[in-house]
Amino acid sequence: MAAAPGRGGIHRDGRAAYLFLAPALLFFCVFLVLPFLFAVVLAFSDWGGFDLGTIEFAGVSNFADVLRFDGSFVRPILVNTLLFAVGSVTLATFGSVLVAYCIDRLSFQGFWRVLYFLPVVATVVAIGNVWKMMYQPAGLINGVLNKLGVNSIGFLSDSSYALPAVTVVHAWASIGGAVLILTAGLKAIPEMYYEAAEVDGANSWRMFWQITLPLLRPSLLFVLITQFIGGLQSFALIIVMTTDGGPVNSTNVAAFEMYQQAFKFGAWGTASAMAMVLFVIILAITLLQLWIARRRGEETS
Amino acid sequence: MRLHHGVRLAVVLGLLATGVACSGGDGSGGDGKVQLTVLSHYGSDPAKAGLDKMIAQWNQENPDVQVKSEVVKFDDLLTTLTVRQTGGRGADIVSAYGLWGGQLQKANVVAKVPDDVAQKIKASYSPAALGAVTTGDTLLGYPTELNTYALFYNKKILAAAGVTKPPATWAELADTAKKVAKRDAKGNVQVEGLSLIQDGDNKSAHPFLSLLDAAGGSFLGEDGTAQFAGEQGKAALGLEADLAGAKATDPSIMPTKQFRSGGVAMAIQAGWWVGSLKTQMAGKYSDVGVAPIPGPAAGSKGSLAYGFFMGVNQRSKHPDEAWKFLTWLNEHQGSAGVTGMGEYLAGMGLIPPRTADAATLKKSLDDPNLVPIYDAAEYAMPEPNLAGAYEAKTALHNAIMTVLADGKSPDEALTQAAKAVKPQ
Repeated sequence: MAAAPGRGGIHRDGRAAYLFLAPALLFFCVFLVLPFLFAVVLAFSDWGGFDLGTIEFAGVSNFADVLRFDGSFVRPILVNTLLFAVGSVTLATFGSVLVAYCIDRLSFQGFWRVLYFLPVVATVVAIGNVWKMMYQPAGLINGVLNKLGVNSIGFLSDSSYALPAVTVVHAWASIGGAVLILTAGLKAIPEMYYEAAEVDGANSWRMFWQITLPLLRPSLLFVLITQFIGGLQSFALIIVMTTDGGPVNSTNVAAFEMYQQAFKFGAWGTASAMAMVLFVIILAITLLQLWIARRRGEETS
Repeated sequence: MRLHHGVRLAVVLGLLATGVACSGGDGSGGDGKVQLTVLSHYGSDPAKAGLDKMIAQWNQENPDVQVKSEVVKFDDLLTTLTVRQTGGRGADIVSAYGLWGGQLQKANVVAKVPDDVAQKIKASYSPAALGAVTTGDTLLGYPTELNTYALFYNKKILAAAGVTKPPATWAELADTAKKVAKRDAKGNVQVEGLSLIQDGDNKSAHPFLSLLDAAGGSFLGEDGTAQFAGEQGKAALGLEADLAGAKATDPSIMPTKQFRSGGVAMAIQAGWWVGSLKTQMAGKYSDVGVAPIPGPAAGSKGSLAYGFFMGVNQRSKHPDEAWKFLTWLNEHQGSAGVTGMGEYLAGMGLIPPRTADAATLKKSLDDPNLVPIYDAAEYAMPEPNLAGAYEAKTALHNAIMTVLADGKSPDEALTQAAKAVKPQ
C-alpha cells in the first residue's frame, strides 16, 4: 500500500524518486539546459568569446544577418545541410531495409550484422580518411573508373560532386546502426502473417510490401527521425574529408559553419543565431515526421 | 531526517567541489615564487626542444619567476585559447597567429604592450614583422615567427621544358606553367604547372595575396573594407583563372604532398617550406629553386608576410614579470651574434623578425634558397589582422576557389567576396 502524502504534498516515495532522479536532472541542467539558455542569450548578443564581460545586446541583428538571402547561410549552407541530411537518410534507410531484410533470410545472421555494424564502431576520422583516399584522383574509385574507360572525377575537389560524395559516405557509415534496429523490428513481426500470406499464394515481393514494410513502420520511423536529426547536426565527417567545407562552400553545413563562426572568427552571436535557426528547423521536421506517423496510427513512444 | 541530511551534504560537497574546480590559481607558488605559463603551438621538435631549452635557462637564472610551457597543436591553438580564457584559466603569455590579433584585442585578451617595450620592439623589428603583429595602431606583442612567400620551382622539370631561369613576369610565369603541365589520357594530373593553393589554414588566399602585392594591390583597408577587388585584384585572379582554364593549375593538388615527388613544377609557398623540403627530398633537394614572386611587368615582385606574436594576457596576475620574461626571451644573446630567439627561429628555417638577427644570419646563409625569402621581408605586404580579417580571408578563399574549381569569372567572384567582408 502506498504511503500517505505528507503535508508538503510530496510523499516519501516521491521524495526518494526525485532524489534518484536528481543526478540525471543535474547533469541534464548543467550540460544541456544551461548551454541552451546561454546560446539563446548569445543569439541576441554580440560577443567575441573569451571575456563574458564583453557580451553586448544586439537585438535581432544576428538573425537578420544569418537569414539574409544574399548571405551564405541560407544558400548554400542550409540547403547543403538539408540535402546532406535528406540524401544520407534516404540512402541509409533504403540500404538498411534491404540489408536487414536480406540478413533476416541468411544463415550466420550475427556475423552479417557485425560486418555491417563495423562502420558504426569505427571512428569518423578513420572512415573519413579511408574514403578520402579512395576518392583521390589516383585513388581506388578513380582507378576502377579509369579501367572502365571513364576519366578521373575530382570527387572532393569538384564542387558538383563533393556534397554527394560525402553524403554517400555518411549514409554508408549509418547503415549498421539502422540495420540493428530494423532487424529487431523484423524479428517482432509474427511468422503467422507470412504463413497465411503463403497459403493465399502471395509472392515474396507482395509479402515484403504488404506485411514487412507496414509492420516495420514503427522501427522505420525511429530510424528516420534519429538519422535525420543526426544528418542535420553532422559535421565531423565533413571536416575530415574536406577540411573546410569546400570546395567553394559546396560541403559546408550549418554545424560546421557555426563552429567556424564561433571558434575561428570569434562571432559567437552569429554562431548562436545559426544554432537557433537549425534548432527550429530540426524541431519542425521532427514534429512533422511524428505528426505524419500519428496520422497513420503509429505508436511512437 | 537522514535523507535530508544526505541531500544537504551532497549539495555542500558539490558546491565545494565546483568551487575548487572553478577557482584559478593565483600564479604564485606557496613559497612566494611567481609561476608564469606560456601557451603556444610549439609542441613538436625542434620547436618544442628549442623553447624548452630557453625556458630552462630562464628558470635557472630567475628562481623567483618560474615559467612553464604549455603546448597544443596549431589547429587547436585558437580553440584552446578561447576555452581557457572564457573559463578564467588563460595562460599568462599567449603565442598567437597575427591574423587573430584583432579578435584577441577586441575581446580583451592581449594586454597593451608597455611603452618602453613597445619602443624597443618598433626600433628592432622589420616592417613586415611589425605590420603582421599590429592591429590599427596597436602593437600586440613581440613578433616571433615571420614567414614570407616566394616562388618555389623544380629546376629539373623546368629545364626539361627548356626553361633555364625562373619566370620574372606574369607572362613568363603563365607560359612556363602551361609548358610544364602534364596530364595523362584519363585527365589525371601528372605535373601541375603552378600550384596556387596549399594545405592548411592559408589555402588559396596567401598565393593570391602575394600576386596581388606583386601587382601593387592590397587586401584590406585600415577600417577593414575590402581592397582586393580593384584592378590589381582582378588582374591577379585573371592570371589564376587563365592558368586554371589551361589546366596548368589544379586545386585538387596539394603541393606539400606532391612537390617532393615531382608532381608540381612551381608553387607559391611560404618560407617555412624550405625546412620541410630538405627533410622530405633529401638528396633531391638540389632540384629545388626559390625565386621572388614576379609581378605583371619585369622587375616587379611581391610577397605576403604573416607572423606570430607573444603577448601578455590581460588577465595575468603578474604582467610585469611576464613582460620581463618576454623581453629576456626575445633579447637575450645566443651564439653567433644573434639573439637566442633569432637562433631558435633560424634553426627551424624561419626568418628571425628582428632586423639585426636577420641581417647577421643572411651573411652566412648556407642555402641560397633562403635568400629570396629573407629579401622578401623588406617588401612583403604584411597580412592584415583586424577583428574581421580571418573571416575576410575565408571569404576571399571561397571566391578564389569559385574561379579555380568552378570557372567563375574573377570580376564576379571578387565583387561577391568584397560584399561579404564586414568593415570593422
